[in-house]
Amino acid sequence: MTDILARRTLEEPASDQAIENLHGLLDQLWIDAAFVPELDQMAFTTAVIEAASNVVQHGVPSEGAELLLGVELTVETGRLRAVISEIGAAAHDPAPDVQGTAASAPLDEDALLEDYDESGRGLSMIRALVTTVTVERQGDTNVWVLSRDSDPAN
Amino acid sequence: MEFTTADKGRYTEVAATGRLNMVAAPKLREVINGVVASGGKRIVVNLADTSFMDSSGLGALIGCLKLARQSGGDLRIAAVQPQVKMVLELTSMHRVLTPHATPEEAFRND
Repeated sequence: MTDILARRTLEEPASDQAIENLHGLLDQLWIDAAFVPELDQMAFTTAVIEAASNVVQHGVPSEGAELLLGVELTVETGRLRAVISEIGAAAHDPAPDVQGTAASAPLDEDALLEDYDESGRGLSMIRALVTTVTVERQGDTNVWVLSRDSDPAN
Repeated sequence: MEFTTADKGRYTEVAATGRLNMVAAPKLREVINGVVASGGKRIVVNLADTSFMDSSGLGALIGCLKLARQSGGDLRIAAVQPQVKMVLELTSMHRVLTPHATPEEAFRND
């Protein structure tokens, strides 16, 4: 069994307010788990908000269903873990490209600015900020699992 | 997130307080649109009190930079905090939105 050192959860309609509430939840988590290095807190917080924002912005409710955002944040020994659930959602089509490799940035600044693709940016940021990320279909729910290794000794 | 706009003579400063996320991003675009529409050419977004930025917030900043340049001006950022710096570097966007230490320094050499 992995020791759970801190845990916070949220479940509410997928909305702008849910994102603001999730920020508050993350703030509370880091009060409980102040031993987690600041860099890990920052990276994990950013990845969790990106994934939850993806749910709010792109989640499509199943017919007749209300789309809910569910979040479970846990701090375990050596690991930060987030389970982000898109409850009452239609299946992803296509599935988010969570395993893709990040494209290298163009060298030229003008090209960098011109090529900036907002839609794919969140996913590539998540990939860069966590150790593993998966998205699975479970019943009527799309489940994102984000995990970042975090050793307080580092 | 709150935005405060101030005419500093050589430039217009937009101070952003709070979290620049998907909720705040459209508001930033609106504020910068307003500055550009009223003739502002040199814009500094002061991020001293911006504790968080995500890809939506970054996308808004990039969109505002393009808008400012298209109208013959420029947009620069100042006083970024660690999380914002991390996002800029992770996306290589620090190369087009190079952070300046203070708003006063952003257009000092122009």
